[in-house]
Amino acid sequence: MSTHPLTMSASKTDDQSAFFWRKLHSLSGIVPVGVFLAEHFWSNSYVLVSPEKYDAVGQELQTLPFRPIIEAAGIWLPILFHAGYGFYIWGKGKSNAFAYPWMHNWMYTLQRWSGLIAFLFIGWHVYTARFLTGGRSNFVTVHDDLSNNLYAAFYLVGVLAASFHLGNGIWNFLCKWGLAATTRAQRAAAYLGAAVAVSFTLAGILIVYSARYNFHPFARYIQQ
Amino acid sequence: MDTAAPGGGNSGRKVVVRVKRRPDTREEPRWEEFALDWRPHMNIIICLRDIAERPVTRDGHATTPVSYEASCLEEVCGACAMLINGVSRQACSTLVDSLEQPIRIEPLTKFPVVRDLVVDRSIMFENLKRMKCWVPLDGTYDLGPGPRISPEVQEKYYPLARCITCGNCLEVCPQVNENSDFVGAAILSQVRLFNAHPTGAMHMKERLAAVMGPGGVADCANAQNCVEVCPKQIPLTESIAEVNRQAIREAVFGWLLG
Ligand code: SF4
Ligand code: FES
Repeated sequence: MSTHPLTMSASKTDDQSAFFWRKLHSLSGIVPVGVFLAEHFWSNSYVLVSPEKYDAVGQELQTLPFRPIIEAAGIWLPILFHAGYGFYIWGKGKSNAFAYPWMHNWMYTLQRWSGLIAFLFIGWHVYTARFLTGGRSNFVTVHDDLSNNLYAAFYLVGVLAASFHLGNGIWNFLCKWGLAATTRAQRAAAYLGAAVAVSFTLAGILIVYSARYNFHPFARYIQQ
Repeated sequence: MDTAAPGGGNSGRKVVVRVKRRPDTREEPRWEEFALDWRPHMNIIICLRDIAERPVTRDGHATTPVSYEASCLEEVCGACAMLINGVSRQACSTLVDSLEQPIRIEPLTKFPVVRDLVVDRSIMFENLKRMKCWVPLDGTYDLGPGPRISPEVQEKYYPLARCITCGNCLEVCPQVNENSDFVGAAILSQVRLFNAHPTGAMHMKERLAAVMGPGGVADCANAQNCVEVCPKQIPLTESIAEVNRQAIREAVFGWLLG
């Protein structure tokens, strides 16, 4: 027992592991998972230039040094952790968006469902684009996949879910890390998240469209 | 103009109210319907008083008065929080004319029911203690007056001191439920208030240690319902973000910079 008159009972015994994992979960959605999503959209958007350029960029990425390590540490493990811990968090909440249909409450519910959809899509996407092609996907395989209506539809759903999840996740992250602390800052963070979600959705749709219909609007860049 | 005398019902207009009753918590709850005489500016507490005056259901069966809590009748004591048409709010400030009928009245769902509409909210007090929302003053010698607080700071933090522990913010929070021990917005806002208080700030580290523990600030998932429903318009989402910022700073730099 301390004898100092102004002492509260000791609280060092509080288990702070949940705090650590929750904050890490929020951060991992931005870095590295969100950053990877941005990189993935970026490298795939080369399809808007030409199939050859697209394949060259793909080659480049497939021949990165230390690729297995980079992929495991920067993509697979973070995604698995983010998804796994996300499902655990989902199980501890009880959505009530129908009883209290305020915007952010809907976002709370949609964040969970979009995460699930994105996770299922990623699993299927990795299976079809990576394992079925033996790690050698290129414009031809992607074009063939996307010529299938069901594939294309699932791609669009996946793009939408992942884009929403990232945009709303940015807003969540800024609030949960105390970076957007005032109501004004939180409103600005919400607009930022919405802008990210809309941009990613549009870019994703454009990429899918481009690969499916052989549409290369930026091809003239290489003609000169 | 008042045409109907209180309880007289001369206008003939009726207010239909359905109350979820549970006189005995060993029994399942049941609904009772009442048809009350309408009066101008009638609120939900007046409805419950009218039922107590004449506890007869709409179809003429004698029943018991409905148990409920209310004290101030002006939204400052917090006692009368309940679900009215499915929404968590204070009964004393909820006007009948603003509601769709039949009006459904139920006890809060996130607290144990004691009887009818009376719930036990002592968990909130326990959690205030758990998160160290107080300033320890009692000691073995006189500590003298505390530091002065500038009017600017007073003005900034006074809104947080207006919390009436009604529990609405917990009731609407998807993260507060039987699977979690999340303390909820009201308590986190008090953590912010006591961390901002110059004497309270002397124990900020201990408070942050508690708030980074089980049921603390990390359990907030940002649905932001609390701020929509708080009858005292407390900026709860700002409070939570501020406590998050303090906790993150402590977690990231605390071990590094002391
Ligand atoms: S913060 Fe608002 S809603 Fe929550 S208990 Fe206090 S007054 Fe009620
Ligand atoms: S009776 Fe006090 S808040 Fe309603």
